[in-house]
Amino acid sequence: MTTFSLFDKSSKMDGIYVFFIVNRFQMLFLFFLLPTYLLHPFMIWGIVAMAIFSQLNIRLLCKWLESNYAKKGYQGFVELFGVRMVRLLTFIGLILILIKITVITLGYLEVIHDFIFPSMNSNWIIFFILLTSSYVASLGMKNTIRFVVIVFLCVFWIIFLYFPFFIPPIAALHDLYPLIPTNWTTDSWKGLLLIWSSYSGPEYLICLIPWIKPQQKMRKYLTYANALSTSEYLLLFIASLFFFGSNYLSKSKYPIIHMIRYLQSPMFERLDIILISLHMFVLVFALSIFLLCIYGATRIILKKTSTQPSRMGFAVTCIVLFLCFVFVNNWIWSIKTEQNILLNIQIWLSGITYFIVPTFLLLLTKLKGRVKA
Amino acid sequence: MFWKKGKRIANDSSDTQQPVQRKISLDSLKQVLDNMDDVEIIERTTLNDQKVVLIYLRTLIDQDRLNESIIEPVIQCPHAMIYESIATPKVMKIHLLEEAQKLLLTGAVLLNDCIQEQWLVIPLPNELSRGIETSETETILYGAKDSFTEQLEPNITLIRRRLPITELKTEKYKVGSLSETTIVLMYIDGLTNPEYISIARKKISEINFDLFFDSSQVAAFMEEHHHSIFPQFQQTDRPDVCAYSLGLGKLTILVENTPFVLIAPITFFHLFQSPEDYINRWPVASFLRIIRYLSFFLSVTLIPLYVALTTHHYQMIPLQILFVIVESRSKLPFTPFWEAILMLTILEIIKEASLRMPTKSSQTLGVIGGIVIGQAAVQAGFASKVLIVLVCISTISSFLVPNYLMTKANTLIQFCFLLLSSFFGVFGIAMGAVAILAHLNGLTSLKQPYFSPIAPFYWKDWIDLFIRGPLINMKSRPDHLHPLQKWRYKRRM
Repeated sequence: MTTFSLFDKSSKMDGIYVFFIVNRFQMLFLFFLLPTYLLHPFMIWGIVAMAIFSQLNIRLLCKWLESNYAKKGYQGFVELFGVRMVRLLTFIGLILILIKITVITLGYLEVIHDFIFPSMNSNWIIFFILLTSSYVASLGMKNTIRFVVIVFLCVFWIIFLYFPFFIPPIAALHDLYPLIPTNWTTDSWKGLLLIWSSYSGPEYLICLIPWIKPQQKMRKYLTYANALSTSEYLLLFIASLFFFGSNYLSKSKYPIIHMIRYLQSPMFERLDIILISLHMFVLVFALSIFLLCIYGATRIILKKTSTQPSRMGFAVTCIVLFLCFVFVNNWIWSIKTEQNILLNIQIWLSGITYFIVPTFLLLLTKLKGRVKA
Repeated sequence: MFWKKGKRIANDSSDTQQPVQRKISLDSLKQVLDNMDDVEIIERTTLNDQKVVLIYLRTLIDQDRLNESIIEPVIQCPHAMIYESIATPKVMKIHLLEEAQKLLLTGAVLLNDCIQEQWLVIPLPNELSRGIETSETETILYGAKDSFTEQLEPNITLIRRRLPITELKTEKYKVGSLSETTIVLMYIDGLTNPEYISIARKKISEINFDLFFDSSQVAAFMEEHHHSIFPQFQQTDRPDVCAYSLGLGKLTILVENTPFVLIAPITFFHLFQSPEDYINRWPVASFLRIIRYLSFFLSVTLIPLYVALTTHHYQMIPLQILFVIVESRSKLPFTPFWEAILMLTILEIIKEASLRMPTKSSQTLGVIGGIVIGQAAVQAGFASKVLIVLVCISTISSFLVPNYLMTKANTLIQFCFLLLSSFFGVFGIAMGAVAILAHLNGLTSLKQPYFSPIAPFYWKDWIDLFIRGPLINMKSRPDHLHPLQKWRYKRRM
C-alpha cells in the first residue's frame, strides 16, 4: 500500500457499525465512576430517566442524520454554516475531543496504576497505547470503523462476569431499597449529570457519517445501542449495590473493578487485571477514531482539505497528542484537586455536547430549510 | 506503516523495447542453438525424395512418440504434403525465429519442409511426472486422497473431474523472464465475482521478475501487503479444496512445476478450515474447529502468559499452582523471560533441524531433543518443569492449524507477545492482541477484507466460521465473497 489514504470513502458501512460504535462510546470510561456517584438505589430510576432522554436526543440526531446536509458530509456543514463558521466550530470540536480523549486516557491510566502497575512510569503506557492507536488509525477511517466489531466482540461478554453478584448470598433484595427517593441532594443531581454524560457519544457520529451507508435505519441501531448501554449501566449499578451496599459504595473509587477482584476462577485469581487490559481495546478504538477526527479537524482549520493527507502531518498529530497527554499527566492530572476539575469539566462538556449538538444541528437545518422555502 | 514512503520504480527504457522479429531459417536457428548439447538436428528423406530437417531438444521431447508420430510417417510419406502425414493432433506453421525458440523450449519439434519452404512445429513434450499421491501437508483420515503434482495438465484434470462444467474457465499466462513459468487462472464464469478476476488478471500482468519456482513466489507478487506475516493466498495441494473454493466463488491460480495451488480471496478464518470439516458430522466438525481456534490462541499466548504471571502478576496465580511454580523455579538462574526465550529458541532449532534432515536422522533428533528438553534442561537447572509442560502444550497446539504458513506466523507472534509480556505483563499481551487484530483487520486478499465475516460484519456467514453448520442449512454461498450466484441449490421446476 503505497498511497496513504486515511479518509478513503470508497466503501460505506452498514448501520450495524453505528450500533457497535455508539454502544462502545457509551461504555468508554465514565461508567466506571457511575456507582460511586449514584450511591442510592433510587438512582436506578435516574438511569432509566436518562436513558429515555438519551433516546429522545437520539431521535433528534437521527432526524438530522437523515437530512441532506448530513449526507453531504463536510460540504453539508459548509452549506449549513459557511466555511469560516465551520472552521470555528471545528476548532471548538477539536478542543472538546482533545479534552475527552485526555480524560479517558488518563482515567484509564489511573485504573492501570491502581490495579496493575502501581510503580510503573505511566508515560511508557501512554506511549504504547498511543502507538497502538496510531497504528490502528493509520490504517484509515474505514478500517478503524470496521475495527469496532472486533472491539465489541472482545469486550461485550465482560458484563456476564457480573452474574455471580446477582446470586445469593451476595444478592439481597433489601440492598435495592429504598427505590423511592427519600432525600434529594446536590450529589443526586451530579449523579444524573454523570449518567447523562456517560450516554454521550452518539453525537460524534456527525464526524463519521460520510462512511456510513445512506438509507440506513439509523434510529433502530441507535436505539438498540442505547438500550444495550442502559441495561449494562443498570446491571453494573445493581451488581455494585448488591456487593457493596449503598452505604459503602462511596468508599471505593472504582467499585465495578473492585468487585471483579473478588471473583475467582480455577485458573486465575485477580480477573480484574485481565479485564482492565481487555478494556484497552475500547480505549484504543476510541483514541484511533478521535485521532483521525483531530487530524481531519486540523486539516479543516488549516484549509488543507483539498490536499491529500500526509504521513508527516499524521505523525505530527500523534506526537503532539502524546506530548499533550504527557504534559497533562505529569503536571495536571497528578494533582488530586486538578484531576477532579479536569474530570468534572469533561463530565460537564460531554453532557453539554450531547445535549446541544443534535438539537442545534436539527434546529439550524429546519431554519435553513424554512428560509430556503 | 504510515510513514512508509511509496517506492519509485525507475522506468528503464531498455526493458520496454520490443525485440526485433526475425524470420526463421536453418542457419539462424543453428546460431541460436549453438553450444546446446541436447539439441538434435537431423535430416531425413521421404519416399518422395523430399528432404526434411527435424530440430528438437531431446531432453524435452518424448522420443518414442517422435519416432512413431513424426519420423516414421514422414519417411513413409509418398506425397509432397508432409504435414498431412504427421500423426499428432496438433501441427502448426510458424514464421518467426523467436516463436520457434520458445516452442522448442516447451518440448516441440521443428520440422523444415525444404521443398514447400515451410516450418512446422509439432508439440511433443516429455511429460515428466510423478504419480498422483496422497497429500503430505494436508493429510486427512477420510475423504479424497489424491493431490496435485508438479505438472499443470494433470492438475487441471483433477479439478475438471470434480467440476465437469463448461463454466469452469482456465486462462493461461507466462511469468518469469527466465523461468517462463506457465500459470493458469481458474474460475467459474457466472459465479466468481468479475471484480476478483479482473484484479487477478491485472496483478498477473504486472508481475515482473525472472524466476518462479513456486506458487508462493507468484503470491508474493500478487499480495497487497508484502510485509505482513500472514499469508494472503491460501496454498493447497488438494484438488477437493480447490474445487470447493471455486464452487464458493473464489478463484485459483495453478503454477507450473509446483503442486501448490493458490486460492484467493481468502480470509484469516479459511486458514483454520480443514477438508475434513465437511466430512465429519457437523457437531464433531464444529467442535474440532473450535479446538483449532483454541489451540491457535494457546500456542500464541500460553508461554507469554506464563512469563507475564511469573514476572508481573504473581497475585493472579491461585495459591496451589503458585506453590508448584515457585518450587519449580526456586533454583533457576534465569528470569522467566530468558528461560522462555531459551527454551523456545532451542525448540525452534530442533523443529527446523528435523525438517531439513533426512527422515531417519530426524527421528534420532526427536529423541535427543525430547531428552535434552524434557529431562536434561530441568536437571541442569536451565528450565522449570512447568515451562517444559507449557512449551509442549504450546508447540503441539501450534500444529493444529491446518495451514503451514500460518503455523510459522504463530511462532513470530508468540515471540512478539513474549517480549511484550516481559515488559507489561498481561497488559502487554492485550496490547499485542490489539495490534495483531488491527493488522488483520487492515489486511486484504485480492483487495477483499481479510477478517471477513467478522469485520466487515456478515453475520449470516457465521454458520461456517467458528462452527461448521449443518450442510443442509448452508444453502447460500458466503456473502463476504460476493458471488454472482447466491444460492447453492437449483430451484425445482
